[in-house]
Amino acid sequence: MRGAATKAPPDPVQTAERVDTAERSPMPAVRPGLRRARRREALTFYAFISPWLFGFVTLVALPMLSSLALSFTDWDSFQPPQFVGLSNYVELFTDDPLFWEALGHTLYFAAVSVPLSLLIALGLASLLARPMRGARFFRTVIYIPAVVPLVAAAMIFKWLLAPDAGPVNAALALFGIDGPAWLLDADWVIPAIILLSLWQVGAGTILLIAALQGVPPELYEAARIDGASRFQQFWRISVPMVTPVLFFNLVTGLIAGFQVFSQVYVLTDGTSGPDNASLMLVPYIYDNAFRNYDMGYASALAWVLFLIIMGFSAIIMRSSRLWVFYETEVRS
Amino acid sequence: MSSVRRADAARADELGGRSLAIRYAVLTVVSAVLLSPLVFMVSMALSSDQTSREMTFTFFPSEFHLENFITAFTSGLPIGQFLINSVVIVVFACVGMVFSSALVAYGFASLRAPGKSFLFMVLLSTMMIPGEVLLIPQFVLFRNLGWIDTLLPIIVPNFFANAYNVFLMRQFITRIPVELSDAAMIDGLGRWGIFRRIVLPLMRPILFAVAIFTFTFNWGYFFGPLIYINSEEKMPLALGVQILSATTSGAQTPPWNMVMVGSLILIVPMVAVYHFGQRYLYEAGLVSGSAGLK
Repeated sequence: MRGAATKAPPDPVQTAERVDTAERSPMPAVRPGLRRARRREALTFYAFISPWLFGFVTLVALPMLSSLALSFTDWDSFQPPQFVGLSNYVELFTDDPLFWEALGHTLYFAAVSVPLSLLIALGLASLLARPMRGARFFRTVIYIPAVVPLVAAAMIFKWLLAPDAGPVNAALALFGIDGPAWLLDADWVIPAIILLSLWQVGAGTILLIAALQGVPPELYEAARIDGASRFQQFWRISVPMVTPVLFFNLVTGLIAGFQVFSQVYVLTDGTSGPDNASLMLVPYIYDNAFRNYDMGYASALAWVLFLIIMGFSAIIMRSSRLWVFYETEVRS
Repeated sequence: MSSVRRADAARADELGGRSLAIRYAVLTVVSAVLLSPLVFMVSMALSSDQTSREMTFTFFPSEFHLENFITAFTSGLPIGQFLINSVVIVVFACVGMVFSSALVAYGFASLRAPGKSFLFMVLLSTMMIPGEVLLIPQFVLFRNLGWIDTLLPIIVPNFFANAYNVFLMRQFITRIPVELSDAAMIDGLGRWGIFRRIVLPLMRPILFAVAIFTFTFNWGYFFGPLIYINSEEKMPLALGVQILSATTSGAQTPPWNMVMVGSLILIVPMVAVYHFGQRYLYEAGLVSGSAGLK
């Protein structure tokens, strides 16, 4: 915004001589040579950023506008689109039980998997943050599953959770537990997807270990002198001090959680699971767009998803004032 | 870690030998649980077809049918071709992403122009746009270009930089002392020369870090190939191998040993990249201290 208001925003990265000239002579009366130099620099700037600018216009800005426009049409992607006003949105909210199912399942998945994996990551990080022999080994082991590509992870879990002779149910049978049919059971298919996301808890753990190690030791010393127990130190010092990292992971985790696709597709072979039990929003958009060729309706769904994500992000950002602690701020 | 802190921790551990034991116990159990899917995977990848069909495998591999790795490449699905396609995608994607993002980042970090801060805000705000909103028009665009069933829709967008990578690189460039560029300019080097000869070499860690991120994303990228690629001989590994695991009819069980061979081929390069690449992530300051948030 600032750049649009003032012709040449002051740049901290410039030579002292330039600052002098700029300060002595106000904007309109710059020397012609300097003005030419500035124009050249601006052109160079635009040349440097041209790859992004071109991609932004062709792959982001125009597609975004056209998908908004398409969401008010009926379009099979071959015939010319028919303008239908708000009817896609009306249908979506009033006459499409599958949308509500997909929304419900997506919320269920995101609301359980994201906080749960953050909690587990925090627990593991607190065990690993203090020096101990073998910490490096444990850290590596916990991190490895997180670098496994989702598709590969989903294929492994599909097999692990195979109903009759899969390793998980075989292990449960050792304890006399009759395991569920997991991916074939409407009640267990989403927990199975959550389980897969918990397996990849390592990425968050690594970030939290770094954050915990960054907490100044004086804080713990002071607390110990005041007689705080380990438990109190953890909840009153460690946790508040790493809330910025928790917050960052919560936001990015939820945004990714709302857009879950690949693992669901692989685990349920591109179906929506038993009784549509694992139907989620992005797979539902995919089905509408690329299986039913209902591009207008799929665009409307995509925009609703976009607004839901924006809404949730806004709520979390608002709430962050209440629970995210930044070291620079002073609290009374 | 300061020695004071280590001494402190040692004292705490002396006091709480029990708590240290609990820590080891918990971490051992968690590690075992997290590693077991991978051990199972290796065990199954080495099992015979019969073992796989009857699910009579054991936890630790008891048979070693290493020929599975040859079978995977010679019969049935063209896994060798999948692998080549994945490598092509990843190589072009990394080169395109690293160079385009570096160019754009240098522009935003070091050059002055009207409209710059506005454009930077636009760039940052694109990070919040979910891909689904762009999906259908992009699909139509690539279809009109005749790019369906080619690798182009997956490769080409990487040449137009990416907001997150530009942001990371810009942060990195602003930490390079300006005096270096100034001195080079006095010596008569132009902007391109400064970028090419001074800034780019100093950006090494962040260039590698972005290459690692790009590799990670594209190696496992599933959604794009699923939409754009129809013929088997053009599929990348992540999509092609998934076909192995898909059951076409309800009663049929997938050839799990081959599926696990496919998973292994997907996983090993990722682990290798992180193993050999993590020092660049550290040097780029992306995994230290406060995880890049301060």
